[in-house]
Amino acid sequence: MRWTGNIRFLLLAPAVIWVLAFTVFPLGYSLYLAFYKIEQKVEVKREKQPMLDAAGKPMLDDSGQPRTKNVVIKDQVNSATFIGLDNFKRLFGDPQVKEAIRVTLLFVLIAVPLELVFGFLLAVLFNQHIFGRPVLRAVMILPIFATPLAVGYTFFTIFYEVGGPLAWTGIPFLSNPNGALASVILVDIWQWTPFCFLVFLAALQGVPEELYEAARVDGASPWDMLKEVMLPLLIPTIVLVLLLRMAEALKLFDIPFAMTGGGPGVATQPFSLLAFRTGLRFFDLGYASAMAYALLIVVMVVITLFFRRLRVSYG
Amino acid sequence: MHPLKWPLLALPALVWLAPPVFAGQNVEWKDDGTVLLKLGDAYNNKVITTSRKELGSAFGPDKQPFKDVTITVTVNGAGPKGGISGPLYQFRPIWEELSGGKVNIVELPFAEHYTKMMLDLRNGTGQYDAFMVGAFWYGDIVPAGYAYAIDDLNKSDKYPQWSYDDFPPSLKTLYTWGGKSYGIRNDADGQVLYYRSDVLSDPKWQAQFKKEVGYDLPNPPQTWQQLLDISKFFNGKNWDSNDPDPDSGTVLHLKVGEQGHYHFQSLSASFVINPGDKVTRTQNVYWFDPEDMKPLINSPGHLKALEFLQELHKTGPAAQVGWSLGEAWDYFLRGKSVFVFSWGDVGALCQDQSRSKIKGKCAAAMMPSSNEYYDFTKKEFVKLDKPRLVGNTTGGSWHGVISNFSANPEATYSFLSLMAIKPVSKMMATFGWDGVDPGYSYQFLKEDGGTATIDDYVKAGWDANDAKAYTHAYHEVFNAPTMLTYLRIPGTFEYWDILDKNLSAAMSGGKSAKQALDDTATAWEGVTDRIGRDKQKADYQAAIGYKP
Repeated sequence: MRWTGNIRFLLLAPAVIWVLAFTVFPLGYSLYLAFYKIEQKVEVKREKQPMLDAAGKPMLDDSGQPRTKNVVIKDQVNSATFIGLDNFKRLFGDPQVKEAIRVTLLFVLIAVPLELVFGFLLAVLFNQHIFGRPVLRAVMILPIFATPLAVGYTFFTIFYEVGGPLAWTGIPFLSNPNGALASVILVDIWQWTPFCFLVFLAALQGVPEELYEAARVDGASPWDMLKEVMLPLLIPTIVLVLLLRMAEALKLFDIPFAMTGGGPGVATQPFSLLAFRTGLRFFDLGYASAMAYALLIVVMVVITLFFRRLRVSYG
Repeated sequence: MHPLKWPLLALPALVWLAPPVFAGQNVEWKDDGTVLLKLGDAYNNKVITTSRKELGSAFGPDKQPFKDVTITVTVNGAGPKGGISGPLYQFRPIWEELSGGKVNIVELPFAEHYTKMMLDLRNGTGQYDAFMVGAFWYGDIVPAGYAYAIDDLNKSDKYPQWSYDDFPPSLKTLYTWGGKSYGIRNDADGQVLYYRSDVLSDPKWQAQFKKEVGYDLPNPPQTWQQLLDISKFFNGKNWDSNDPDPDSGTVLHLKVGEQGHYHFQSLSASFVINPGDKVTRTQNVYWFDPEDMKPLINSPGHLKALEFLQELHKTGPAAQVGWSLGEAWDYFLRGKSVFVFSWGDVGALCQDQSRSKIKGKCAAAMMPSSNEYYDFTKKEFVKLDKPRLVGNTTGGSWHGVISNFSANPEATYSFLSLMAIKPVSKMMATFGWDGVDPGYSYQFLKEDGGTATIDDYVKAGWDANDAKAYTHAYHEVFNAPTMLTYLRIPGTFEYWDILDKNLSAAMSGGKSAKQALDDTATAWEGVTDRIGRDKQKADYQAAIGYKP
């Protein structure tokens, strides 16, 4: 059956309204904020109005006088001044932004490759017939389902340096700038390696058994099979996982927010956390919007480059 | 028939028919004009005696002036028995019985409270009637017209009676703005030095200190330099017999994004502030040059103070870089450090033996001073012959401010004022868990010009010596001849956040002290320019009482 007439639009309306309200409008408004400086002024007046009961009759107080209620009348004036690219220019001279970019890049460059490597090795392992594989596989993927914020708080207690379960090691998990960044990376690896593992395992299990047999007949060693059979076939999957993880890692927020608060100093403050604080802690909404757009542009460039590479390589 | 059928059926009917036996359970009106306010377990079932006059004419045995009115108050989340939030819970049933109204308490994590408050105010939603604010938020809420001036309500005899006359000038400033009153009396924050009186007065340690360091152990230390010597001496020794592990000299709470920067403020005050009778461009200034709003935060005095704090940090546990208040306080309360300098909560918590091992050994003193300060006029350090008293109101002095968008300012005022009347405020200051610290004349002892007696504290479970030292220290810190000026201009939260992050980097070894303070100054310039230098200058001058 084919929907015809206005009914089509009626059925589409909820989805369109949703997208307009929760995607297009915030996107457009934040772009507007990035180019304008907003100032507010508020005048408040109060009027006394009689309180009425359910029947609409005036309510009386203990002394028999009519009860009144305050009605607040707000006169709020927002003035917007166009400031052009000022907010974007600020990004280039802001030491906090530089530091946040450094932290974010370090995180992405260390955490993502390690997650891929560990994920791949685990997938290769679980692609064999090992004892208890179904149970172990289920256990392995549990961290994916945990809320990153809760994970952050949990690891805060685990890394707690006085009285925590790892306190005996004497490692400054949270109090040293490098130690804290390493801890954040470690937790992210713990949570997201299973994701890489799961996708790689699915891809490996899709490799036809005949290819392995043919390689074995040709006298290939396990290393040869890995290098010449598995890896080439898995390249598209690896690129896809790399892309997804990089896009996610560039937006790192929850784990440092909960675990280190971005500290000590700003040693674990990634770009998203800085943008969040700038906008919602200090209400410098224009600058925070500019930051968010800068991040969006970076993520889009990365994704575009990867997709282009994928298209070139695999049509 | 089941033997329990009838009792089970009768139960709902009995509940429905039962007279309201709990009516009046929190408030008792006496014929002689006194009124008893009955508190719960958290305050050891204390009964506060007040009068009809003190409660205000709006309330009475047959009156319920705010019947069906619901007010909503936000507060830093700490629970029904936590600092600042606890008293709201404990006094809620009393006010609800007095007024007929309802109170919603909205607890918000410290890091989100400001955000939620500002979102409500900026959008003019009026979702909240009042906020338990830190005084450093005033710059963002009062000039913008978001706060409700309470002068008329405070003068009225209708609501619970309290007065700003009991405030020392240093604290009154924090509750007012531009000649108008906004804050309803509650907490009084300032940092004092807490020390182990038993350890510093122990002849064995005194002799060993003299032998090792070369002078008599000062008890308590008068200068920061003396404190560092003592702290170094005791750090790593097992001077406390509570456990076999070595103990520390000084414990600090340095976690980024929390309250570590207050340590620096209180400590550096005596390294920086130039004494004088009035505020000039170089005297009694700490944050900015009041003529051009150039930051002073990277002055040689500030730098020396931060380098000193780095040294002092080495005499405590390394993990304290990531410690909040609770962890540092507990370390001191467990008898693990000789010193902590912090807020009034510590003195009261020392008396709580469920948490403290040092009741009766927990003395307090005015903050030490540096033996030199940086002279802004001569551009050189000035050596002092004797220590000076530099007070502070460091902290939030957390208290209620009514939203200008509240439809029920009178009801809200009456609830928050219930906790501000003298007998209540006096009682709250003697409890450690509630976060309400002393600062008002009736909380100080008679020898310090107050009206309280040592018995008031002993009856509340205090050790007499601890109480005497504690109240004296607080009297000194709020009434010192030289005070650390309080920053409360628009953007204060952001200025402090920048300072806090850089201090944390300096304390954790991520930056040198100079780099941290220079970076702070640079970032502050950006904030000042963004908000508007002239606007900031005018607010800053007004805030510190500078007249060009």
